[in-house]
Amino acid sequence: MPGVTLSRWTMSYFATALVSLIIAELLMTVGYGYPNAPIRSAESLVLVHLTALGWLSLLMCGALHQFVPVLVARPLHSDVLPLPALACLVAGLAALVLGFLQMGGLLSAEMIGFPVAAVLLAVGFALVLWNLARTLWAARPLPLPARFVAIGLCSIAATVTLGIIFALVLGGVAVNPHLVDITAEGVPLHAIGGLGGWLTFTAMGVSYRLLAMFMLAPELDGPRTHIGFYCGAAALAVAIVGGVTAICIGASLPVILGASGLLGLCALVLYGADILRLYRARKRRVIELNSRMAAFALASLAAAAVATAVFVSLGALARHIAPVVFLVVFGWLSGLGLAKLYKIVAFLTWLECYGPMLGKAPTPRVQDLVVEARAVRWFVLYFLATWAATVALFFQNPTAFQVCTGLMLIASLCIIGQLGRIRRLLDVNPTMRLPTGARLPQLLRCSVQQR
Amino acid sequence: MTTATVALDEQVKEALRLVIDPELGYNIVDLGLVYDVAIADSGVANITMTTTTRGCPATSYLQAGARDAARSVQGIESVDVTLTYEPPWTPQMMSVEAKRHLGIADGGGW
Repeated sequence: MPGVTLSRWTMSYFATALVSLIIAELLMTVGYGYPNAPIRSAESLVLVHLTALGWLSLLMCGALHQFVPVLVARPLHSDVLPLPALACLVAGLAALVLGFLQMGGLLSAEMIGFPVAAVLLAVGFALVLWNLARTLWAARPLPLPARFVAIGLCSIAATVTLGIIFALVLGGVAVNPHLVDITAEGVPLHAIGGLGGWLTFTAMGVSYRLLAMFMLAPELDGPRTHIGFYCGAAALAVAIVGGVTAICIGASLPVILGASGLLGLCALVLYGADILRLYRARKRRVIELNSRMAAFALASLAAAAVATAVFVSLGALARHIAPVVFLVVFGWLSGLGLAKLYKIVAFLTWLECYGPMLGKAPTPRVQDLVVEARAVRWFVLYFLATWAATVALFFQNPTAFQVCTGLMLIASLCIIGQLGRIRRLLDVNPTMRLPTGARLPQLLRCSVQQR
Repeated sequence: MTTATVALDEQVKEALRLVIDPELGYNIVDLGLVYDVAIADSGVANITMTTTTRGCPATSYLQAGARDAARSVQGIESVDVTLTYEPPWTPQMMSVEAKRHLGIADGGGW
């Protein structure tokens, strides 16, 4: 149907992402990787990439295929490209995991995992970038939230490029001295580009729009928001461009990262002030579960920023980097992701099933697809377990960490169960569940019904 | 405007209450999303409406829903739905009932 911006493959991205999350949490629960293995061990790297690539990046790609058109009020450039992109990204992730296992001597095979991963991930992200960038390009001049996304796309391009360099050097394909130096020293840049630019900066931009939409709050476009945007973009440029340059010319990387950190902190403070304003200025006094849980995720980001500043001032960041990154990944990014999934899955399911019924028959509300009173306990358990796991990492207690990640796993599985109930319309009042002509949605794919 | 078209106008607005904004869960008439309903003597209904936000993924469904709901009114021969964002919608455009339903205070814009 012309004009309907329902991304066909977003649900498939979400399902694949959730499988990766569960595998990562399961591995942490059984003691695989850090803190039971060194942070740069093959096991830890498997865990990191399952989480950052398999869970968070696929979640972000799926969400952007749906929400970039909303941000710019234009249709997605191509509804065909997301499927081959997903196939390449999943195959690339599998090859990357294989490469790490080969690197750690856990698999005795020829080192083909890294070069294959480099090709597949490059193609997969190139397809995603091309599709989203063309959509943004056609909508110039971009509204501010979309500019955050544009910077996020530049960041993932840089992150993937660094990752490809690492893969080719570790796979023995590239031997250029600069590339070897970048591989040896560039891991912080790879992490900043991925977690900071691609995932956090993009999430910030999308959250400006989604929180305003879901809470009926005014959209922010004032000087503070613009300054925050420029500070964040500058922080990323300094870290990635400045960092790579510093490595290649032998300059001090910590100075570059310090300058980037200061700019990034300014951006986060301004973003925090904006988000507080959004919550305070909202017209809906009683807000939905996704917005309440997003506040927990935002609190995790604030706590991680404060902890980073304190550890830097004490000269102890290197020693405590693991709990800070864990809090960013599982408290902020994963917490926000799960909270917004609870809303987005319900909204897309409503559009798919009841959108074509509008004007023909009474339809339920999006909120009628969910039972928040049942879901809230699993979200609260997820955040409490995540915060406790962060503390366990800080005090270097692997057993307590495993218990906490086990609780995170249980909470995540139960939240996924709620998402499944939403897709199958199990909580909708039977009298309105399937009006004549409506179809039960498929679990893993959205289809647009003709009216 | 004749008495007959005024009566049709009210019937069309009543029919449009079947169409809800999925996010707010309330009908588009009381949410203030329907800016104008004009019925021509020929039975053509011209509906001018908006959405709560530009780029709303439900936009086409809301337009089509409004068309189908209005078309179901006896005496309406055809329906023309125009989407506009001038003026942009604000919560203050809601009816008192809709505001009360959503817990939104009266007064002020955003």
